[in-house]
Amino acid sequence: MGLLQGASELFPVSSLGHAVLVPSLLHWSFRQSDPSFVPFLVLLHLGTATALLVLYRTQWVAIIRGFFLAAIAGRIRNDSERLAMLLLVGTIPAAVLGVFLESRIKSLFASPYVAAIFLIVNGLLMLGFEIMRRRAERGASRAEQESHFGDAERISFLAAAIVGACQALAFVPGISRSGITIGGGLVAGLRHQEAARFSFLLATPVILGAGLVEVPELFKSGIPLAEYFAAAVLSGIAAYASARFLLRYFRSGRLDPYGFYCVAAGLVGLALLHFNP
Amino acid sequence: MTRSSPVAVALGVLGVVFIIVAALYALGVLQIATSSTSGPHYKHAILFAVLAVASFVAANFARPKTAA
Repeated sequence: MGLLQGASELFPVSSLGHAVLVPSLLHWSFRQSDPSFVPFLVLLHLGTATALLVLYRTQWVAIIRGFFLAAIAGRIRNDSERLAMLLLVGTIPAAVLGVFLESRIKSLFASPYVAAIFLIVNGLLMLGFEIMRRRAERGASRAEQESHFGDAERISFLAAAIVGACQALAFVPGISRSGITIGGGLVAGLRHQEAARFSFLLATPVILGAGLVEVPELFKSGIPLAEYFAAAVLSGIAAYASARFLLRYFRSGRLDPYGFYCVAAGLVGLALLHFNP
Repeated sequence: MTRSSPVAVALGVLGVVFIIVAALYALGVLQIATSSTSGPHYKHAILFAVLAVASFVAANFARPKTAA
């Protein structure tokens, strides 16, 4: 589960959708209602967030410094300060929706059938994002096509807020946080690689915050902390490797393969659930 | 001396309101839109503290600047 969560959290394929669907298909005795599920998830999220912090450690130092300098000066003077404010604007809608709606949405949609259906929806959304993107592209080679689009720092504040709010859709099992935010970044005019970078930077405070607020759950008795910690380390390693792979992939790659994968995985999941419940 | 803009003042007041709401959630006085009906709600308190910080930052951005 640690490897699965770490790898699928950053890939645009919905970690929550896989976390609901895969154990059900493989008949794993892993119940979300189990009291140890929340602490387990907390540690996995902390593992993923740590991996993202390590990957972008230099940028996060500049972003945090930029945030304080811009906040005190009351104006933005460089790219780091602009990126810090864009991340703040993008994180607030996700945090508000997360605190007030997360548990309600998750309880409404926590079924393997729903996860499979929304996995198909997620795939169609990503294919849709790429169709919209292709209409805006010019040039023959991929490098030429990408060169017409911008860096994460150039996204508008309104677009950052909308992309940030879209993260809340990922509370529905099957809808991918990174898929939605990378797709939103593409529509807002970012290069693929920059859309992925903005998505990962935007995800870090949300994933870290969601993990940290649940830390007290870890100190309840009967929690096998050593085993869970090992899973968190695996989750972090998988997340780090995934992020490195995706940033390399999106230099010229597109969301299409993940879109097709999600549609296929959703259809196969639905078929297996129907014929082998 | 420059006068503060109404937007900056409004955002500053909003920041103060968010701090009060955060404190009420942390103390367990406020139970609006929570999963349980008793006890402190630290998740909500942290959210409103962050909103307060964001409001103060926005107020500083909206404040008229003197030429450097």
